[in-house]
Amino acid sequence: MLKLTTACVTRLLVLSFAFAATAASAQSPIRIGWLSSLTGPLSSAAIAENQGVQFAVDEIDAAGGVNGRKLELITRDTSGEPTKAVNLAKQLAFVDKVDFIIGPVNSGESLATVPIVAKAGIPNLIIGTIDELVDAQKFPLAFRAINTNKQWIEAANDYALNVLKKKKVAVIGDTSGYGTAASKVAQDLLQKAGVTPVYVVLVDPNKTDLTDELNKAKAAGAEVIMPWTAATGLLARLFNTRGDMGWEVPIVGHPAMMAPTVRPLLNKPDYWKNAFAAGYLSTTYDAKGKLPPRTQELMDKIRPKLGNGEIDFMFWWIALGYDTVKLVEHAVKTAGSTDAAAIGKVLENTKDFPGVYATYTWTKDNRNGYPDHAIVVNIAGSFKDGSFKAAPR
Amino acid sequence: MLVALITGLATGALYAAAALTYNVMFSTSKVLSVTTGHISMLGGIFGAWFISTLGWPIPVALLGSMAIGAVFGLLTDFIAIRRVLARSDEHLWLLSTLALATMVQQAAGLWWGTEPKPFPRLIPQDFSAGLGDQKYWLPIAIAILLAVALEVFYRRTLYGKLFVAMSEDAFAARARGIPTGRIRSMSYVIAGAMGGLAGFAAGQLTFAYFALGLTLTLNGFIALAVGGLGSNVGALVGGAALGILSAVATYFVGGEYQQTISVGLLMSVLLVKPAGLFGSQSVRPV
Repeated sequence: MLKLTTACVTRLLVLSFAFAATAASAQSPIRIGWLSSLTGPLSSAAIAENQGVQFAVDEIDAAGGVNGRKLELITRDTSGEPTKAVNLAKQLAFVDKVDFIIGPVNSGESLATVPIVAKAGIPNLIIGTIDELVDAQKFPLAFRAINTNKQWIEAANDYALNVLKKKKVAVIGDTSGYGTAASKVAQDLLQKAGVTPVYVVLVDPNKTDLTDELNKAKAAGAEVIMPWTAATGLLARLFNTRGDMGWEVPIVGHPAMMAPTVRPLLNKPDYWKNAFAAGYLSTTYDAKGKLPPRTQELMDKIRPKLGNGEIDFMFWWIALGYDTVKLVEHAVKTAGSTDAAAIGKVLENTKDFPGVYATYTWTKDNRNGYPDHAIVVNIAGSFKDGSFKAAPR
Repeated sequence: MLVALITGLATGALYAAAALTYNVMFSTSKVLSVTTGHISMLGGIFGAWFISTLGWPIPVALLGSMAIGAVFGLLTDFIAIRRVLARSDEHLWLLSTLALATMVQQAAGLWWGTEPKPFPRLIPQDFSAGLGDQKYWLPIAIAILLAVALEVFYRRTLYGKLFVAMSEDAFAARARGIPTGRIRSMSYVIAGAMGGLAGFAAGQLTFAYFALGLTLTLNGFIALAVGGLGSNVGALVGGAALGILSAVATYFVGGEYQQTISVGLLMSVLLVKPAGLFGSQSVRPV
């Protein structure tokens, strides 16, 4: 009798501990590590993305969390430095023991952190554009939520070659890691399209004048200039030089050309004309001047948080940040837990997940979730309330 | 090619101004402060802020930028130099000035933003002036003006002679009753005002950009080392040589080699003439 009672008590204890553990797990927050370059160069995008991330977390938590679990956002400022990003990624993975990592924001930082996060076995939502950041074999839990650099370049090349019908192309990159790589990809893709650029140059992002470069491009017979740099100062100098020269050549290239921060750097507002950049369907006005419904809905919801005025930065950054958290919600809801392997399975089987920034699809072999058709070309000087007009076709 | 020469000269003039700023601080403290370029950065962003945001008249904004530079110079001495020099003979000032420069850059980024912002036109002039544009000539004129003013200051004024005395032998100067601490602070104030003026004059060339400081610190140092530490003519020549060489190198071989050429110039000069083109090798009596 005594033996039987002891066994029963033991079983009861084990069961109650198991129940308590399950309950605790159900109640413990879902920890999201957010590697964001909130200070340092290129912080503008990160600050806006952070607004989207924070807004989504607050929204989901206000609605009761995911499967009854609240989201806990652990934000770490990398200052745009790869070394700092590596240390913070390790801290998030091994000290904070997060369930997901979003970021870092810049591709250079991501190149350093992705292998570390992959080794730690933590699902990583990638928001850097350079192609090497994802690999289904090497980094099976890394899923890219942003477009690739190649998608931007393909869209811009298509516009220059097939819409503007310009075949004599000058490619201008900057000497940063990103600018050099993007310039190389641009040249390769042009070659594939049967076009050899008539002039290619890399310039220092802080170069104070581009007259020589544009004179050489003109002398080489360039009919279109294609800049691949994220440095808005350099892009403004490119516009100013073209304008001061009185050269009517079109400029087609990187989305940073459209940044509202370029406008005050221009010698004359007209210098922004005849320029087109790769952009997104989600932040492009249609013929009636309307944005896609999901973009408009998020904009309406978040506008009070942004002071109720016009949005004076590119809204796609907010949309991207917002979507990354919604993807976390989708993955945990579908998997029923934060088990990394289960999350990986859910994400690699995600098809047409309706985000604001895009509709995402990943497969077993493809970790790039951004669809080609969602990339468009915008008019560079058409910025209004966070979005742009489509370039004429 | 002429464009490359003029733009190189204008950029080189800014490096020369940074080298002159180094010289003034070095003369009294034997310190090569990492904050040198950051003084000009502050001159640029405060100048743009004074004119564009606060609506100050240009001459007042110019004085304001110089005052900001002077205050930062004084703070540099107070926070990063004075105590370090008093407690150690080692080159710990490298770390203390680097720390201060980093903090100032971060603070500027947080307040001003991390994107370049426009610097207003200082003289009414159309943008079609080409190479006659004020953005090229203002920094060149200011660098020359600073070098001439420094020469006059050193040769014609009592305080200038005190600077020279401290530069020659600070211990002997102190033994003769010169208040070396106060003179050093004064040199940092003057250097700060010079840096603020240079940043203001070059604002249209560089834009008002928070990350400009380190570039100027590095290139100003190269200009100084090439020209010769302590020589104002050397600072001008070193800055111009660096600016023109970088521009010409970019013109002929592309921007990816610009930094290599700059550092290559420094190494070549140091190998052939370690004291720089106009520097004099100091002989230490034993």
